[in-house]
Parts: sequence; structure tokens; C-alpha cells
Amino acid sequence: MREVVFGVQDGILTTAGVLAGLSGAVSNPRQVVLAALASTAAGALSMGAGAYLGTRAEREVMASEVARTRRDAEHHPYAVQEALLGELEKQGLTREAGYRVVQLLSTSPDLLLETAEEKVYGLAGRMRANAALDGVVMGVAFVAGALVPLLPYLLIPGARGGLGSALGATALALFGVGYFEGWLARRAQRWRSGVRFLSIALGAAAAGYVIGLLISPLGATAG
Amino acid sequence: MLRPGDNAPPFDLPAATGERIGRVALRALAEELIVLFFYPRDFSFICPTEVTGFNKDLALFRAEQTAVIGASVDDAESHRRWSRELGGIEIPLLADIGGRTASAYGVFDERERVAMRATFIIDRERKIVFSEACPINVGRSVSETLRIIRAVRTGRLCPADWTPGVAFGPADRKF
Repeated sequence: MREVVFGVQDGILTTAGVLAGLSGAVSNPRQVVLAALASTAAGALSMGAGAYLGTRAEREVMASEVARTRRDAEHHPYAVQEALLGELEKQGLTREAGYRVVQLLSTSPDLLLETAEEKVYGLAGRMRANAALDGVVMGVAFVAGALVPLLPYLLIPGARGGLGSALGATALALFGVGYFEGWLARRAQRWRSGVRFLSIALGAAAAGYVIGLLISPLGATAG
Repeated sequence: MLRPGDNAPPFDLPAATGERIGRVALRALAEELIVLFFYPRDFSFICPTEVTGFNKDLALFRAEQTAVIGASVDDAESHRRWSRELGGIEIPLLADIGGRTASAYGVFDERERVAMRATFIIDRERKIVFSEACPINVGRSVSETLRIIRAVRTGRLCPADWTPGVAFGPADRKF
């Protein structure tokens, strides 16, 4: 889910930024579209590779943490029980209730260790992550996000109309992603998440357009 | 942490002795020596081995005119349930709520808000004759505490690893 939200959001923002920036600097819409496609391909590949490498590195670090925890558990079995008991107490169980839970878990040493890894060290969830899948999902999500501003730009004729519809679709999509993120986080006011995403996107697009306008004289000189 | 030669700070605290809840005061104890052992918490996975260990050898300590008393920051009711959980503990367990007594003995862990794993032996003058503290995850040796009790009661110079039957050091030397 993290990869989907991050990839879509980044795909939308990056592509909208490129479209807005180049529309300010370049007069030919074909060149703008080509640059946006190149940016989408590069972005999807780099984001996918980044997600793959990130998850892999994270898994390696966690695998070493798990190995260390298991070594500790072998030498100091009580330490794992005490650590888990302390965590359960912190999370609201009475000491006595926590003790009984840990005592029950201790009848299955593997289950005790897995629970301690998850509760005490926060290791279990990300250990199951698949680096290759994370990379592919991130790349595909980036492309999907990039299509949101790109398709209206391609389909609606005229540079200004195309850019306007691209930014409109971007605004709607970002509001949707923000709202979706608010829904995932079970926030009471999900529209606030949508507005926050939207504000950031509009800020990035506006900054891109202004920078494009500022650097366009350099392109004219070079040409 | 108090050291040999320091006065033992007095205490008068609620305590559970098995199923009974009452009070235990240092001044009311008649035994020649007192083992006061602090432990972090009831319902723990290391402490029971110490509490049950002292409880199992209680007759041996009594034979040495020695009282054994445990103390943690838990209340007396918790001690009673903990004692029941461990199959009945005859050692009085002091309810040092807030850790004032542990602080007076210099063994209160401010960060964890529990007593350290520390043992004191108090003599008939109610002075500390022995003190030790263990890492929080390492249990103490009951037999070593008993060995020291026996050595202290001889009033003689006891060489390393002395046990009853082993020769004493020269009588004319202090250490």
C-alpha cells in the first residue's frame, strides 16, 4: 500500500510539474509530451529500482536484527519474556494479565519469539515484504499516476487547454489520493488530507511553471 | 548503594506472607541476621527463581537465626497473588510502593521506577554487613547468600570460598 500511494502521488506530481514547467518554457506541445513521457519512463524505473533496493536493504538490516534477537533469546530466554511483558504493560495490559499472556505464549517458543520480534522490536511486518514486488508496484503506480495529467494533455487540443485539463485532473486525483490516505489512516476529516495533498501539488506545479518561464530565455539563446 | 558498616535504614511496610497481609518493621525483627533482598517486580520471569529459591531454603536460613525478607514496588495484594502463583511463599514480601525503602538503601532505579536486584545482609546491630547488586537480567545465588550468612556468623576470618568445615584464617589477623 505504501508503494501504491507513494508511487501514484509521485507520478502525478512529477509529470504535472514537467508539463507545467515545459509549457512555460517550450511552445511545441509535442516536445512537451515527449519530455513528459521520457520523464515518466525514467521516474518509473528509478522509483521502482529505489523501492526494490530500499526494501532489500531494509530486509537485510531486519534479518540481522532478527538473528541477533534469536541469539539473545538462546542465551537469555528470560530477557525476551521480560521485554515482551514490559511492552504489553506499556500497551495497557495489567502486569498480571501481561504475565499470563507471555506465560501462554511461552508454551510455544517460536510463537513467543515471533510475537516479541513484532511487539518489542517491530520487525515482523516488513520482514515479509517482497523487494521485487515492491519495485514493480512502485514503478507501475508511478506510471499510473503519470497518466493522470498526461492523458488529458494528450487528448485535449491546444497547449493552454491541455495544460489546464492536465492540472484539473491532477488536482482531482491528488485530492482523491489524499482523501484515500485519510481513509486508510481512519481520520475523521479526510477532506483535510485531500486538501493538503492538493495544496502541495498546486504549489509544486506553480513553482515548476514559474521556473520554466524564468529559464525559457536561456533556451532561446542556446537555440 | 549502602555498604558494609552503614546503618540499615529502618522500614515499616505492608507485607504479604503467603496469604496473610500485615506489616513488617525492621525494629520488630528478633532474628540475629536479616537477608533483605530487593527485586524489580512481581509477575516477572526472572524474579520467581530467586523468590522460590529463597523460599525453598528458608529452613536453612532459619537454622542460622536469619530472617529472609523480599521487597519490590508492588502492593501487598499483588504480592499475595504472586505468592499464590508461585505455589505459596513463606517469606514476607514488603510492599515498597514508590520505592522509598529501596531509595534509602540506594538501590532504586529512577528510570525504570523499580528496585534493582540487590541483596543486603543486616547484623544484630542492624548494620549492613554485606551488600551486592546484580544486573537486572541475572538472578542471584541463594546458596552464595547462605554461605556468606554462615561465614558472617562465625565471626572468624574466612578465606575465599569458605564453607563450614574449611579451616579459618589466622585468628590474630583482622583481614
